[in-house]
Amino acid sequence: MKDMTETLLRVDDLRTHFHTFAGTVKAVDGVSFSLAKGEIMGLVGESGGGKSVVGFSILGLIDSPGRIESGQILFDGEDLAKASEDRMHKIRGKEIAMIFQDPMTSLNPLHPIGRQMDEMLRLHTDLDARGRRARCIRMLEDVGISQAEDRLDSYPHQFSGGMRQRVVIAIAMLAEPRLIVADEPTTALDVTIQAQILKLIRRQVREHGASMILVTHDLAVVAEMADHITVLYCGKVVERGPTRQVIDDPRHPYTAGLIASIPDPSDRKHRLDQIPGAVPDIRKLPRGCNFRDRCPRAQALCAEREPDLETQEPGRSAACHFPVEGGGT
Amino acid sequence: MTAMLEVEKLEQKFDVSGGLLDRLSFSGGRILSPRRVVQAVNGVSFDVQQGEVLALVGESGCGKSTVAKTIARIHNPTGGTIRIDGQEVQGLSDRELLPVRSKMQMIFQDPYASLNPRQRVRDIVAEPLLEQTGNRAEARDKTEALLARVGLNAEHAGRYPHQFSGGQRQRIGIARALSVNPRLIIADEPVSALDVSIQAQILNLMMDLRDEFGLAYLFISHDLSVVHHIADRVAVMYLGFMVETAPRDTLFAMPRHPYTRALLSAAPTLDPAKKARQIELTGEVPSALSLPSGCCFRTRCPFAWDRCAAERPALRDTGDGQQVACHLIDEPERDKP
Amino acid sequence: MMTAFFASEFFANWRRNGSAIAGSVILVIFAVIVVFGPWLVWQDPYDVAGLDLMDSYKPPAWLPGGDPRFPLGTDGQGRDVLAAIIYGTRISVLIGVSAMICSLVIGTFVGLVAGYFRGRLDGLIMRIADIQLSFPSMLIALFLMSAFGTGIDKVLIALTAVGWVVYARTVRGQTLSESGREYVQAARVAGLRNAKIIRRHILPNVTTPLIVVATVQVGTFILIEASLSFLGVGVPITQPSLGLLIKNGFDVLFSGLWWVSVFPGLFIMALVFGINLFGDFLRDELNPRLK
Repeated sequence: MKDMTETLLRVDDLRTHFHTFAGTVKAVDGVSFSLAKGEIMGLVGESGGGKSVVGFSILGLIDSPGRIESGQILFDGEDLAKASEDRMHKIRGKEIAMIFQDPMTSLNPLHPIGRQMDEMLRLHTDLDARGRRARCIRMLEDVGISQAEDRLDSYPHQFSGGMRQRVVIAIAMLAEPRLIVADEPTTALDVTIQAQILKLIRRQVREHGASMILVTHDLAVVAEMADHITVLYCGKVVERGPTRQVIDDPRHPYTAGLIASIPDPSDRKHRLDQIPGAVPDIRKLPRGCNFRDRCPRAQALCAEREPDLETQEPGRSAACHFPVEGGGT
Repeated sequence: MTAMLEVEKLEQKFDVSGGLLDRLSFSGGRILSPRRVVQAVNGVSFDVQQGEVLALVGESGCGKSTVAKTIARIHNPTGGTIRIDGQEVQGLSDRELLPVRSKMQMIFQDPYASLNPRQRVRDIVAEPLLEQTGNRAEARDKTEALLARVGLNAEHAGRYPHQFSGGQRQRIGIARALSVNPRLIIADEPVSALDVSIQAQILNLMMDLRDEFGLAYLFISHDLSVVHHIADRVAVMYLGFMVETAPRDTLFAMPRHPYTRALLSAAPTLDPAKKARQIELTGEVPSALSLPSGCCFRTRCPFAWDRCAAERPALRDTGDGQQVACHLIDEPERDKP
Repeated sequence: MMTAFFASEFFANWRRNGSAIAGSVILVIFAVIVVFGPWLVWQDPYDVAGLDLMDSYKPPAWLPGGDPRFPLGTDGQGRDVLAAIIYGTRISVLIGVSAMICSLVIGTFVGLVAGYFRGRLDGLIMRIADIQLSFPSMLIALFLMSAFGTGIDKVLIALTAVGWVVYARTVRGQTLSESGREYVQAARVAGLRNAKIIRRHILPNVTTPLIVVATVQVGTFILIEASLSFLGVGVPITQPSLGLLIKNGFDVLFSGLWWVSVFPGLFIMALVFGINLFGDFLRDELNPRLK
């Protein structure tokens, strides 16, 4: 994905905060990135990193006590952060589709899946009844569901977990959206099923020329799927870059720590490298760099000033005063 | 070496048919009340030596957690033998089991559900020891020492679980298991609910404790990279059967059962280029309510032929401590895609 | 301890919730009446020697013919209606609260046993509960009272017989879900016996939803008791509750002597209203699903 390709989505200094009794949770605090047409971007981080909230913000699904405080979400030139709920309703499903970890959040347990697919098409296309039905059957076959015509009358609970996620993918792809936000789409699935679903998602996205934001905690999944990686820590982007480069040669100590703490079968050590401590309470973040208490490279400057996301080399950036030198691993 | 744990032909069935009224169904003009039995574990045998880490691997529903919980006697086994440190325990009553529990403890999967939210940390950690000895002073000293050992401090002892992060809670769970000086620890997916950076901390702690106390672990996991890091030997389960067991390096370098091979090739890795040859599975795991005839894996196996439906393969030695339950061992010429 | 309470989210929400405050104020007033009742009145309404028939059926103090000694008027025996209400409130609240406690204890015990051990016993207990819930509780209480005869103790038995079911069902459901959780399994691995597991691990974790049920049930019990007494099968005439006061005044209601029964009625209404307002607030606060 070159820089010259057309940008589909640009998120600019997005801040989404949650105002709870115990204090303001700055779940997303100044996140910026852009996504080219046809690109798959992995949005990576641990729990509390704010990665899901970014996805929900793009879809306009932030409910009270949460609020988008500032920033822009430019989707094809239109600022979704300021779009009305009516407008978002038209965009969701048609322009931007979503795939969640739990397929049952997007499936209605009371309706057969055929009806749910049909509704989607009625809302977003002007096909007639027969055309819609044909499209649904083709879509189900496309995601690997056999006897698709009969399965249209099945209810979600009649499918297994993996099959349900296939149905969700089929529904998500029906209206040919230009952007797909997939939030931990395979975390609830077994490894062998995960492999099938990842392959399916990738094929669908590529075939339809869509872009995708893949939200996940699993670096290995991102390594297999994404073109670019954006790493979040405590609501801020700490590193961005092309997938292979970031994984082979991470610049931010947090990214480096994450990668090192995954056991590597080809290089077995007695002790794993670990990041000490735990993610700080996001309501009481330290001054300066959020990662400094856990960082092996931290110095006095890190406690004073928060590092900005700086471009290290074309296409790569990291938010660190003392980035890991290139060619490290 | 002597065996800390020996399991022979362990079977676990759960009757899920419910009460008489729930069971009634109407079919073919007759009222029936069929029993529905989940065959969770179907004759599994293995052993864990002193100081050894045996990893039990498989996907959800393969029965690995049931095996763990049956050995820990959270469930009572429906068949087979369990010997802990040479003593048969499957028929023992709760009272007779108490001394056995000082040799065997358990670490649980969910750090949020495995600690009683209404108990203070010191009471949680001391509970198993107090059941054994009833000596409060000793339990208090021991609790403090254990909390320090797992990386928490004395002031944490008076707090409640909700004041801790997931990783810290798992440390509390480990301290609780260690309080009676066990020699065998059953760890049921102990790191799968934790963030990656915390996973490494807990795995390191568990390995340090093993070296320090000579612990044996029965380590249940679905995560192959974790298993590769921690295990001495690996046993692979599918649908309540054991399909392959081997020393770690043998299993990862030369997996023989098609399911093991598929599992290894399906796991995502940081470096997809280095991936082993792919075996891709289609379809999904059959229901444990009605097992397939013959080999449990044949419905998804790319190599299956008629013999697999007719005859259930037994676990057989193939040398180097590797055991495989697959007809391909007899007919290697069929091992082609 | 107190400062922690005032800094808590519970207290902050309470302060912002008008109906919760109103409910609490009403409950505090009634608590004062119940605790200090005998010192709030100048006349013991059931000391016949202190009554004067010359004072009978005086209207409330602000009406023509009213007497400032009797702010809410008097009944046929010259008894101060306010004093009778204060004594009656004590009896009504005493019955409501005691019956709630009996139901709570018995229902919780039954629910714990049924939910933890499951099996046949569980099936049997829950079928009894289902059958009982398919009759109106008023009808069951009425039937029991006609069998037992009147008396505070008998009202308590009848109300408990009606009330235990709701606790048993709630506790059983909670116990079923809690006993599958890992901390209960951990207790088994630690070697604890069932009784100890139930007492130390399950009981503390199933009680929160009971607080709401118990609060609202006190109101329900006060109403049932009032109805029973109004029908003449409740408390004896020597220990009149609010319900019995209404009945006593009811006979003369249509001769224009309305105050004898209307004021006790208003008090019952205010009391149950206060309980329900507060109960609703507790329900919202203690239900984690709404948060």
